Amino acid sequence: MSPAELTVAEASAAVARREVSPVELTDAVLARLDAVDGTLHAYATVIAGTARASAAEAEREIAAGRYRGPLHGIPFGLKDLIDVAGLPTGAGSQVRQGHLADADSAVAARLSEAGAILVGKTHTHEFAYGLTTPQTRNAWDPGRIAGGSSGGSAVAVAAGTALFALGTDTGGSVRVPAALNGVVGLKPTYGLISRHGVVPLSWSLDHVGPITRTVADAALVLPALAGHDPRDPASLPGAAFRPEPREDLRGLRVGVPVNHYFEHVDPQVEAAVRAAIGRMEQLGARLVEVEIPYSGFVQATQWGLMVPEATAYHERTLRSSPELYAPDVRVLLEAGALIPAADHVRARRARSLMRQAWTELFERVDLIAAPATPMTAVPAGQESAPWPDGTVEAVSDAYVRLSAPANITGVPALTLPAGHDEAGLPIGLQLLGRALSESLLLSVGQVCEQALGRAGTVAPVAA
Amino acid sequence: MTPSLTAQEAARWADRAGLPLARERHAVVAATADHIRAVVSTLRELDLGETAPGVLPAGWESADVAG
Repeated sequence: MSPAELTVAEASAAVARREVSPVELTDAVLARLDAVDGTLHAYATVIAGTARASAAEAEREIAAGRYRGPLHGIPFGLKDLIDVAGLPTGAGSQVRQGHLADADSAVAARLSEAGAILVGKTHTHEFAYGLTTPQTRNAWDPGRIAGGSSGGSAVAVAAGTALFALGTDTGGSVRVPAALNGVVGLKPTYGLISRHGVVPLSWSLDHVGPITRTVADAALVLPALAGHDPRDPASLPGAAFRPEPREDLRGLRVGVPVNHYFEHVDPQVEAAVRAAIGRMEQLGARLVEVEIPYSGFVQATQWGLMVPEATAYHERTLRSSPELYAPDVRVLLEAGALIPAADHVRARRARSLMRQAWTELFERVDLIAAPATPMTAVPAGQESAPWPDGTVEAVSDAYVRLSAPANITGVPALTLPAGHDEAGLPIGLQLLGRALSESLLLSVGQVCEQALGRAGTVAPVAA
Repeated sequence: MTPSLTAQEAARWADRAGLPLARERHAVVAATADHIRAVVSTLRELDLGETAPGVLPAGWESADVAG
């Protein structure tokens, strides 16, 4: 097995024991990248020379007894919305041609401080405003979408061209590609991870989150990222993360939604997720039926918040060079100028109602278990999803539908692999918890991934 | 149900919003804006009472980080 196929936990332990060196790890990841990225196109920019130099430096530090912790010497990718000093932040857009970041984003600086090795910047749907990432191919079937908008990050982790990666999530952009590529994605509590130096899509919905091959790996990466940052106005004071290992799920109250999350869901996805929930019950969890509050207003609230905020951010370039945006993004940004302020404020008030109702919901249950996406990865180019009742939904709307509640309310949500459909495509189980319950979410997620099996394997990409 | 925007109205609204649109953009932007407004306007059915925007529920910032 190539060291590129190691999980963060395995690689970290091997580095700490000096069984594998950061240089060997980085070389293995770069060799795999050379072999498969010509097919998958996960990366927008690869900095092989810099990565090798950083790996050599990490190796010297570790040899000299200056081991920085579990991410020291671990190769990773960053979504190309996240600034790294001296590199372009392309944001998947012609609009950003010639851009060079003059400083590190908060998360890039934190990972650098932790000694992790940046391999490159991963493709994003243009400005994170879409759910497919058309530049990138699905790691399990190159004829299918990667999902988005953090498609490059999810595919890199799934394919073994990064041991972990960061994405951003405004309406599912970490969780959707993670689920569609059979890896783990965490959208943390709003405000837990700083967004300083990250190109925004919608300030009040944007989150940065890790994508890993296991939940255990997410629990290793999160502590390096979490923490207060006065440069992000949403950053929560005093927020941090402490791991909380557990053996089983005894005493845990798991909410199973009777509405929203199992409506218009592919039968194979539903079967896999219900089987995973059944496994949680066998492990001691008590299942509690819950009704998702205001479910009929999720899309309206998401759009009422996101659309005007996105247009506001892009206002200047939309005036000066609209032709540089891809057609799908341009028309959304232009149309956003026509949404009345009253509708936006109504969405902000609706969010307050939803947050309150979800807070009350989490007094009855410790977490909620649901599908991450209503369907597995669709073929590239497919734009609509027909449902058995005759309704037809835009593919992007379908993928956002089960993610948006956690963006609107700000509660943490984790997706982890829960099996495959008959075509061999990955299915994601989503766990949602109360605000700042990442420790519980990740410890429960680790119990689930142990029980569901196959955690940490890379996608069967033909090299 | 929100009345639909004509291409001319979209052009005028965009001008008023400070984002003049080229003529060939009027129809496609009107159609997209109509679709978005049809979705967003369902919030008018919601009784928002005295709810203020941007309010975090009690306990958010002091939530037990250990879960």
